[in-house]
Amino acid sequence: MPDNHAHRRPAAEFWLGVRHELPLQLGVIPFGLVFGILGLSSGLTGLQTILLSAILFGGASQVVFAQLWAAGVPPLVVGGSVGVVNLRHVLYSASMAQYLMHLPLRWRILLGYLLTDEAYAVSIRRFRDGLHSPHQHYHLLGSGMTLWVAWQTSTITGVIAGTTIPDTWSLSFAIPLTFVAVVAPSIRRRADLFACVVAAALSLICQPLPWKSWIIVAACGGITAGWLTHYLTQTGDKFTSDKNTGAS
Amino acid sequence: MIWLVMFLGGIFTFGTRFVMLSGWVVHSLPRWLIDAFAFVPIAVLTAILVPAVLIDPVTQQIVVIGNARVVATGVATIIALLTRNVIATITSGLTTLWFVQWWF
Repeated sequence: MPDNHAHRRPAAEFWLGVRHELPLQLGVIPFGLVFGILGLSSGLTGLQTILLSAILFGGASQVVFAQLWAAGVPPLVVGGSVGVVNLRHVLYSASMAQYLMHLPLRWRILLGYLLTDEAYAVSIRRFRDGLHSPHQHYHLLGSGMTLWVAWQTSTITGVIAGTTIPDTWSLSFAIPLTFVAVVAPSIRRRADLFACVVAAALSLICQPLPWKSWIIVAACGGITAGWLTHYLTQTGDKFTSDKNTGAS
Repeated sequence: MIWLVMFLGGIFTFGTRFVMLSGWVVHSLPRWLIDAFAFVPIAVLTAILVPAVLIDPVTQQIVVIGNARVVATGVATIIALLTRNVIATITSGLTTLWFVQWWF
């Protein structure tokens, strides 16, 4: 909900950010719990699982890390895949720049660290639709910190709970299932479908490639296929991309 | 080694969030790059998902018939499309997997 009152004081902006972010925690907290449990079941230690949430602070990329590390993928490919998954944040960063560029460097570093899917989603609406106020960046601080606290505490809770769950539950299959949950609803255009089909085909065909590099090959192939389809069909389609910053 | 990858991944991830706020690079991205980024989540996650479902962890062969994970993924896909809810998708998929493994 965009709030049209000008909140001049920093504290008011901060708490508005917290309030806007809270409903999204219904999705974030269970995901954090699942990640905590999954981290352990894919062979990470409790400490590694918890610190991954603080260091990467990105749900999908952490799950990718756990899945690939457990599968014995070479470290360079794990790191590369995590990086590719997180590339979308450059878009958030770009669209936030006009509202944050005037701030001192320490603020931009802090807000950059907190710039996740969910915090971006609520704060960009405040910046675009709300009235301008000199302390409006406190809104992003509020939404970002709410998400941070929810994500860390739910991961820790998941790690504690996860130590009691037996391996026979096949819980590690929850990782591919989280990808289903992200990918299936995000296929809206023909180009999305092509990206998905080409990535799927290449991921199977390229299995014999060394160092498990099929992940990177299939990902890049899928991106290229989607992009080409998008450009070739652009003239015919009315609904081309209006700055598509959504997804996961 | 795992710590090194975690920290490098973290630095890179922070970089993706900070880069356009840094003031050290161009202030707007080219259109084609923005369009390409839109396909990143679908392509990467599909590339990891499909082999995890289809390839047998023991024999390393592609298995479709009699593979409980395929059934579970099918059910989860339908639930994902209907509910758009992460937890409902995971729960339905795991429940299906357990049911199929128990039944056969």
